[in-house]
Amino acid sequence: MNSKILNHSIIVISFFIVFFSCSGRNPNRIMVWHSMRPLETDILREALAEFGERNPEWEFSELFYANETARINYIISALGGSGPALFWGASDNIGPFVELEVIAPIEQHVSQEYLDSFITEPFSANTWFREHLYQVGDRVGNHLCLVYNKAMITSPPQTMDELIQIGRELTKDTDGDGKPDVYALAWNYTEPYFAVPFIGGFGGWIMNEKNQPTLNTQAVIKAAQLIYDLGNKHKIIPAECDYEISNALFIDGYSAMIINGAWSWGTYLKNGIDIGIARIPKVDETGLWPAPAASPLGYSLNVNLKGEKQKVAVQLLEFLTSPEVELRFAAAGANIPSRREALRDPIVIQNEMIRSSLDQLQVAKLMPVVTELRWIWDAMRPSYQGIFTGRTTPEKAAAEMQELSEKLIKENRGST
Amino acid sequence: VAVGAGDMKINRLAYMYVMPAMLIMSLVILYPFVYNVIISFSNMNLTQFRNWKLTGIGNYISVFADRSFWYFFFKTVLWTVLNIFFHVTIGVFLAIILNKDLKGRTFFRTLLILPWAVPQYITALTWRGMFNSEYGAISLIMNRWFGISISWLTTEWGAFFACLITNIWLGFPFMMVIALGGLQSIPDALYEAAEIDGSTWYHKLRHITIPLIKPVMIPAITLGVVWTFNNFNVVWLVSNGGEPSDTTHILVSWVYKAGFTYLRMGYAAAFSMVIFGILILFSWNFIKKTRATEAVY
Repeated sequence: MNSKILNHSIIVISFFIVFFSCSGRNPNRIMVWHSMRPLETDILREALAEFGERNPEWEFSELFYANETARINYIISALGGSGPALFWGASDNIGPFVELEVIAPIEQHVSQEYLDSFITEPFSANTWFREHLYQVGDRVGNHLCLVYNKAMITSPPQTMDELIQIGRELTKDTDGDGKPDVYALAWNYTEPYFAVPFIGGFGGWIMNEKNQPTLNTQAVIKAAQLIYDLGNKHKIIPAECDYEISNALFIDGYSAMIINGAWSWGTYLKNGIDIGIARIPKVDETGLWPAPAASPLGYSLNVNLKGEKQKVAVQLLEFLTSPEVELRFAAAGANIPSRREALRDPIVIQNEMIRSSLDQLQVAKLMPVVTELRWIWDAMRPSYQGIFTGRTTPEKAAAEMQELSEKLIKENRGST
Repeated sequence: VAVGAGDMKINRLAYMYVMPAMLIMSLVILYPFVYNVIISFSNMNLTQFRNWKLTGIGNYISVFADRSFWYFFFKTVLWTVLNIFFHVTIGVFLAIILNKDLKGRTFFRTLLILPWAVPQYITALTWRGMFNSEYGAISLIMNRWFGISISWLTTEWGAFFACLITNIWLGFPFMMVIALGGLQSIPDALYEAAEIDGSTWYHKLRHITIPLIKPVMIPAITLGVVWTFNNFNVVWLVSNGGEPSDTTHILVSWVYKAGFTYLRMGYAAAFSMVIFGILILFSWNFIKKTRATEAVY
């Protein structure tokens, strides 16, 4: 009899352990998911700790994910009814997020005075979509610039011809094995986002005002050809280069220049590199400056939040987008703040890198937030990369990109 | 044996013991599986995520009509066959060596198990770095010693073989450990008797070692085939998500891309059901034909 009671007790206890250990989520926990680099993560963590001191009954924490992973994980978790309270990222996530109904409109939770304090030039820091506010920006830009190592190059090239000319001098074979060891320029050029500025330099863009892809154009073909030639004809960039390799080359002094965004500059400074920021050199043929894609970056509110937790999350959002917090990010990573007050601060005005970044922003193009952009990026990658592997030509790649993007849009929308 | 009400009554306690496990298995395996089957017949995608509806067998038709499916199916079969061949050959070869009275046998055993002990993603990313055509260790060594320059990660087959080499490195220790366990269970008396009969090394391998390690190796190979067929991590991480140009995929990495990058959930669900069907067919036939579950002694 005793053993029977013992057996039944074990089963009941097992059930309790299994089921109650699964429900250990703290309801008073406010989580922020982001893709900030380590230096910026430290600032975010400090800001959360500071806000936590003012709200001791709540627990605040952050979690880093790489851009793509953050987007996918957020969609999955929010569709499942959970996910972080706030999601930080670029505004091009907004289209898919709204389409999937995983983020909530914010405008009814904040005052008009608060919204009026954000910059609207060269574009709005806050992201409205389908007449609702879905993202409050804590910085603007997210655009690519030319970053140069002042120890290796005193003044950056102004035109592509100049870049090629200077590039030939800077690219060196130091160990005499017939292959360059030091390059003039390195960047993640096989990723379409990093090639887009060049399309602008030839007067094109990836989509039109009707949200249709414009990839089978002379601008796309010429831009791809130029990038290909920099590596294969002029040999001033590495033949194989992804984001990590280009970053490592620049940090270790094996590349004099890199094309990268503000998110990376803090890391370069931390590594003791005396960097300068400049516009990506002008295309001689058109006289146009390359136009990097730009967007605000900021926080969106999880659609699953309700009641007091939602209220605290909005308060946190307001705190994280306050001028004082934005200035901390600006000082550490040369980010362009989204609040007018912060943008007027001496910390920003006197920062040479922010001034140069703002200068590049003048010729940048705002990334649309529509979902079609997502399919266009996805459609560009395979054919564009095919140019560098010798599988296809820029002409064929442009036609393939156009075809695939139209196909993806059609499949998802039901019509082109 | 049919499970009837009587059996339930007699073994009630046993059923209660396994019930928590069954309940959790139902939640984490059965429910997602059934859900996957349902959405494979639906139009669920980025724009129809919450308001999806059943649309019939259209997704299955799309899968079989898609050239990518057949191409990646061919690559997956090639990937699996080559991997298993090298895993088993290297694994059994090393196990036979380690089964002998070697000096420092424990050290070599530990050393050879190391690739298995390192997390897959660390190994995959390290190998990816080593395959870089300009700065990677493998390329530098091949160039310096043999004067060969291979664009591992920027060509379709270069990237395929880069993934293959990485997975061979990761997979042989498992087969080695299993084979070693099998070898240690073979009585020495059999080898001694064969030696008295004048058998050669090859005869002993063919008529004693291989038949007697077969019962442990066949389930291991079956598992290896399923794991390799579904080895998403290595292919995805070494090729950086299918680069170049989405050509370095096996079926599971392609289905992941369709599902979680393109958010074509209905199509991806149908695709994964096809993969499931292929693996069930293979495992069933393989175990049946090799009679792996039958005893040897």
